[in-house]
Amino acid sequence: MSAGFRAVQWNRKKLIYDAIVLAGVAIFLAAFLAVGTWIKPPQNPAEAIDLRIRAFGSCAFTMLTLILAIGPLARLDRRLLPLLYNRRHFGVMTFLVASLHVWFMLDWYITLGALPSLAEELTRWPDYARFIGFPFKTLGIVAFMVLFLMAATSHDFWLVMLTPKAWKALHMAVYGAYGLVVMHVALGIMQTDRTPLIPLMLFGGFGAVAALHLVAGFRERDRGTAVRDGWIVVGPPRAIPDQAALIVAAPGGERIAVFRDGRQIGALTNLCAHQNGPLGEGRIIDGYVTCPWHGYQYRLADGCAPAPFTEKLETHRVRIRDGIVEVDPRPLPPGTPAAVMCDKASL
Amino acid sequence: MRRAHRSIHRLVWPILALAVMLGVVTALALRAPPEEPTQEARP
Repeated sequence: MSAGFRAVQWNRKKLIYDAIVLAGVAIFLAAFLAVGTWIKPPQNPAEAIDLRIRAFGSCAFTMLTLILAIGPLARLDRRLLPLLYNRRHFGVMTFLVASLHVWFMLDWYITLGALPSLAEELTRWPDYARFIGFPFKTLGIVAFMVLFLMAATSHDFWLVMLTPKAWKALHMAVYGAYGLVVMHVALGIMQTDRTPLIPLMLFGGFGAVAALHLVAGFRERDRGTAVRDGWIVVGPPRAIPDQAALIVAAPGGERIAVFRDGRQIGALTNLCAHQNGPLGEGRIIDGYVTCPWHGYQYRLADGCAPAPFTEKLETHRVRIRDGIVEVDPRPLPPGTPAAVMCDKASL
Repeated sequence: MRRAHRSIHRLVWPILALAVMLGVVTALALRAPPEEPTQEARP
């Protein structure tokens, strides 16, 4: 198996996106360090480093929270989809900020000449059986390793190399990493620093991410799917929004996106060939079915990406019986033409 | 993502979320009372 490497394709929108994220990071860090210094001026180099550890840690936590909120937010409101398109850059920047958090932590030990005590702290095995007193840094280290793996494999080269399925599974580990980060803070700094801001940050961030996923998931509940003679009953053509899709579920598993482009009706797998994105939540743009995640495009007629791209999607046979659109749940080989035209009168 | 994967995901992540939330609440409830700052705090 081989995969060709393509350089990152920069465009103006991506540059603006990255500039905004970088400016946000700079403002956050500057504000944190300024307020922290104003409230409690560092008395020695170790205290100054400690403030930097907190600043970069808080920034990385906030960035991770925002990253996990982008997915459900974009599903709830399509206007937020541009935030999704360059989420990978946001993720890599989060890893870099987290790296500086780790670096300042090491710097703190080096400055005090106490680096061996860090190793001793991480290998005090009886502490792993405790709850309060658990070596919280280990939780942070594991989360950091997950972020490293994600950042290292964020390029499309790895997406192709690992296959979208494995790549997606790897990147879903970010949820586990987020849980570890929350516990890293709860069992670490929250145990010694009494400021209410820390529990507030944890409950606010974690609660917001959980609530957004719940709301988005609730809206995506499977629609009741009726089956007639082995075909899925979708409804009259006008029930499918023009240049958009209805998502139906096949009795045995896959979701199918039934798109309508004027009079043309076609059914494609709901999984984009790029990253398994929810194709049915996309729209028809410039005559092509467009994935809401990264804008990958396919012809409605046969599920093929326009030249020079080579991606192909599984299609499903469509028929109109008694004025009702029906879809065959059995997929056709990728790239098989299967769309039909409906009567003008039925719209 | 097949429906089976979605079902597992939907089952697992609320359990994970509840576990983390419970962990934070417990960590908050069990934390030691404030002490006089006699020693240099570790990061």
